[in-house]
Amino acid sequence: MRLVNEFTKGLWREVPPFRLVLGLCPTLAVTTAAENGVGMGLATTFVLVCSNVLVALLRKLIPSKVRIASYIVIIASFVVIVELSMQAYAYKLYEALGIFIPLIVVNCIVLGRAEAFASKNNVVLSMADGLGMGIGFTMALTVIGGVRELLGSGSVFGVHVMWSSFEPFGFMLKAPGAFVCLGFLLGIMNIIGAKK
Amino acid sequence: MRDIIRMIVVLTVICGLSGFTLSYVKQVTEEPREYAYLKFVKEPSIKAVLSGYDNDPIKDRIIVTLGKDEKGNPIEKQFFPAKKNGKVFAVAFDASANGYHGPISVMVGVNDKGVVDGISIMQHSETPGLGARTTEPSFTGQFKGLTLDGVNLTASGGKIQAISGASISSGAVVRAVREALELLPKIKQEVFSS
Repeated sequence: MRLVNEFTKGLWREVPPFRLVLGLCPTLAVTTAAENGVGMGLATTFVLVCSNVLVALLRKLIPSKVRIASYIVIIASFVVIVELSMQAYAYKLYEALGIFIPLIVVNCIVLGRAEAFASKNNVVLSMADGLGMGIGFTMALTVIGGVRELLGSGSVFGVHVMWSSFEPFGFMLKAPGAFVCLGFLLGIMNIIGAKK
Repeated sequence: MRDIIRMIVVLTVICGLSGFTLSYVKQVTEEPREYAYLKFVKEPSIKAVLSGYDNDPIKDRIIVTLGKDEKGNPIEKQFFPAKKNGKVFAVAFDASANGYHGPISVMVGVNDKGVVDGISIMQHSETPGLGARTTEPSFTGQFKGLTLDGVNLTASGGKIQAISGASISSGAVVRAVREALELLPKIKQEVFSS
């Protein structure tokens, strides 16, 4: 039961960018298209799950004084693995995400989950937590990316969906558009949350 | 004291393992990463300069060693062969020459008789509206069908019309293509026999 709970909390109750308002840098920067959102989300999910598992495995071995340094080394290693494999097998995505792949290292969700959850719980629970948070993060990025792509270039996942006379809002693809979009989505989530 | 030693040991072991893992991953992905890079960066230019091939020039790329540099390291150059029914009939490779603002790199497609199949400017930092116009098909198209004799500006007795106001950039492209064509006899054996 606890396992299910740890997994599902990342999907709605604590969905990272909306509820915890963590990891905003990639959330705002790469979500110009739904596809980039999915790619960034999946890369982060991989790093989250792997680092959570490893941190949980080593939690009794790592002295508390050097824990942050150890976590960063573990996280950074997985990020480099993601970066290298993306470069080899998904070059287009690698080009689109650019500097934000190495920056997963400093994504506070990853370090946050390692510190707040994986260092205190067992491997299975940490994996569920990482997976849930990762999927929640991916969904959030995909939604923001989808909305911005729909309004900013009139398409979703690269497929044109708006009517032909639709004039795209170039504004939505710029940084302010990301903030406006995030603000509206946060508001909507709060309205839904408040009714319960 | 024991605490300090434990900290040092744990952190050292973690960093060491991380280093080993990463160097292993880097080695394993070396091939596919290079392939992906060439595929996305060079293939568009290769497609522009060669036609009628049925192989994957990136996958069949040939590396030829061309002498040694000052330090004695071999100079290697990549050639992208175009094959039809398993026979190489043309090859694409890059060459560069200094333009008005730094190097202009050109992908040149040549067939086995030394006739240019097409050229495409891959990278340059020439002046927009002047030197940058060397990338336009009206300029690059002039090279098609020429051999080494013809590749020269009209002012020097060749067949290439320089872009007015951009003779340095035009000259650089010509020099790059000439350099490529002069290299051809040296590598012909190795590239066309494979």
